[in-house]
Amino acid sequence: MRFSLLFLILLSAALSPKAQDLVLRIHPRVQGQELELGKETEGFQVETLRFYLGKISLWKGNKMVFQEDNYHLIDAEKPASLEISLNVPTNRAFDHLQFELGVDSLTNVSGAMGGDLDPTLGMYWAWNSGYINFKLEGRSPASPARDHAFEFHLGGYLPPFATVQTVRLPCKTSPRIHLRVDLDQFVTGLDLSKQARVMSPGAEAVELSQKAAQIFSCEE
Amino acid sequence: MKNKFIHIAFPGLLLALLGLAAAAPHLGEVFTLKYPESWPQPVYDFQKNPLTKEGVALGRKLFYDPILSRDSTISCSSCHLSYTAFTHVDHALSHGIHDSIGTRNSPALVNLAWSWSFMWDGAVNHLDVQALAPITHPAEMGEDLAHVVEKLQATESYPNLFAGVYGDEKITGERLLKALAQFQLTLVSCNSKYDQVMRGEPGIEFSEQEKRGYELFKLNCASCHAEPLFTNGEFYHTGLPMDSLLQDEGRFNLTLDERDWRAFKVPSLRNIEFSYPYMHDGRFKKLYQVLNHYTTIRPGVSNLPYYKFAKGGISLDERGKVDVIAFLLTLTDREFLFNPEFAFPKE
Repeated sequence: MRFSLLFLILLSAALSPKAQDLVLRIHPRVQGQELELGKETEGFQVETLRFYLGKISLWKGNKMVFQEDNYHLIDAEKPASLEISLNVPTNRAFDHLQFELGVDSLTNVSGAMGGDLDPTLGMYWAWNSGYINFKLEGRSPASPARDHAFEFHLGGYLPPFATVQTVRLPCKTSPRIHLRVDLDQFVTGLDLSKQARVMSPGAEAVELSQKAAQIFSCEE
Repeated sequence: MKNKFIHIAFPGLLLALLGLAAAAPHLGEVFTLKYPESWPQPVYDFQKNPLTKEGVALGRKLFYDPILSRDSTISCSSCHLSYTAFTHVDHALSHGIHDSIGTRNSPALVNLAWSWSFMWDGAVNHLDVQALAPITHPAEMGEDLAHVVEKLQATESYPNLFAGVYGDEKITGERLLKALAQFQLTLVSCNSKYDQVMRGEPGIEFSEQEKRGYELFKLNCASCHAEPLFTNGEFYHTGLPMDSLLQDEGRFNLTLDERDWRAFKVPSLRNIEFSYPYMHDGRFKKLYQVLNHYTTIRPGVSNLPYYKFAKGGISLDERGKVDVIAFLLTLTDREFLFNPEFAFPKE
């Protein structure tokens, strides 16, 4: 039994088309420059940036040419997390990249998960079950909070306050995709004097999650 | 009697396949969970966390170990004692490290495999992640899960025990939480006098008073406290006056839906004799106080159209109340309460 199973696995590996590692490289940026944590630019500084990027797919027109089902925790403090290898079959042309910003509702109700979804990683709410999809913390003189801090922990999966966003971007065929995350677009788009802290599910979290979904683009 | 129970178990082959599919292979001896076949299917997905004897034993050790709290003073069992239906008897509100007092009465842990939400407001959506709430709450165990994992990894005994369950010594949040869930899933209460009467066991019968109480219960209480689990798992505003200090808005805080304003979960009534005090904030010490509340709610106490007792409370005379309480006492399951398998593990 064990032998035949092994044989099947080897057979399917031999028959599947050759695959290459396509690299999806994430570039958190401020004013077009690579993000430096703790450095003040544009009237604010970022101390924490973490978000879930999941269900990555590549599209050629209306046809999906590649799909992955898992979630990646992107953490600006961990350089290794900024590079995702995708096992894409060779000669797959695509013109769009699609992914989910955040964790879907099914995953949110599936109990304890491991890997990038392990609840020890600071992206899980203990007192209101569910993942934090997008976490941005920093300081800006515009924030009236203590130490001029701003804190955005965006999440929530229950309707009508579901926050997971599907992002679809034009993206040229290439063995290396550069995904830009323009944080200044998010921060300067807010009025920090009125809104410096969103840390629970609700209408504000939904609104800010939609804004966060707008700051991604593929480098041409 | 044996054939009246369902045995949840996983044959070796299925277990092996699941092990192949999951990141963490499960080893060890299959643990069989028994419950009456007349019961509904469990809500818990055992395929994602197959019970093993080793996993249950590890969960039990963790449940009784204060290492889960910041200053190693509070364990799960501090507020969930086996002999009192796994709740904090005599404490209206549970207390944690540094004698901090929480805001709600610790719920009894029973038949959790059939529960689709946890906590009084249903804020926790899965048994696996329930333990995160007390572990991290500053007034309970005041810890951080990543730090608990670190502490466990540094102990003499735990890495080996995790290896016995998951195949290697690495401790993760997922593995820790799933082991705790394994033990809690075994807390099945299904052998009260009520259960024995329902199964038609020879020589076991309700008294006349219990019979009358059962009929009244079915008429007045069972729409929410539905048999055989004695809860329908829903949330209602039951007309309790708001505690001016706690100002607890219940499930509304979670859903922000005004229909959930001051709604709390319908608790199971199994072992209710031992799980006092009652209600989400433990305001009633005695069952008759609970019945007095439900029989004196007047219409108009709330204008909310979805308020559970919009038409007034239930109607029971004094004798009826005594009869209902007599029935409720038949839900005491001594085999469950004094099960040595649930008690502090002696090594």
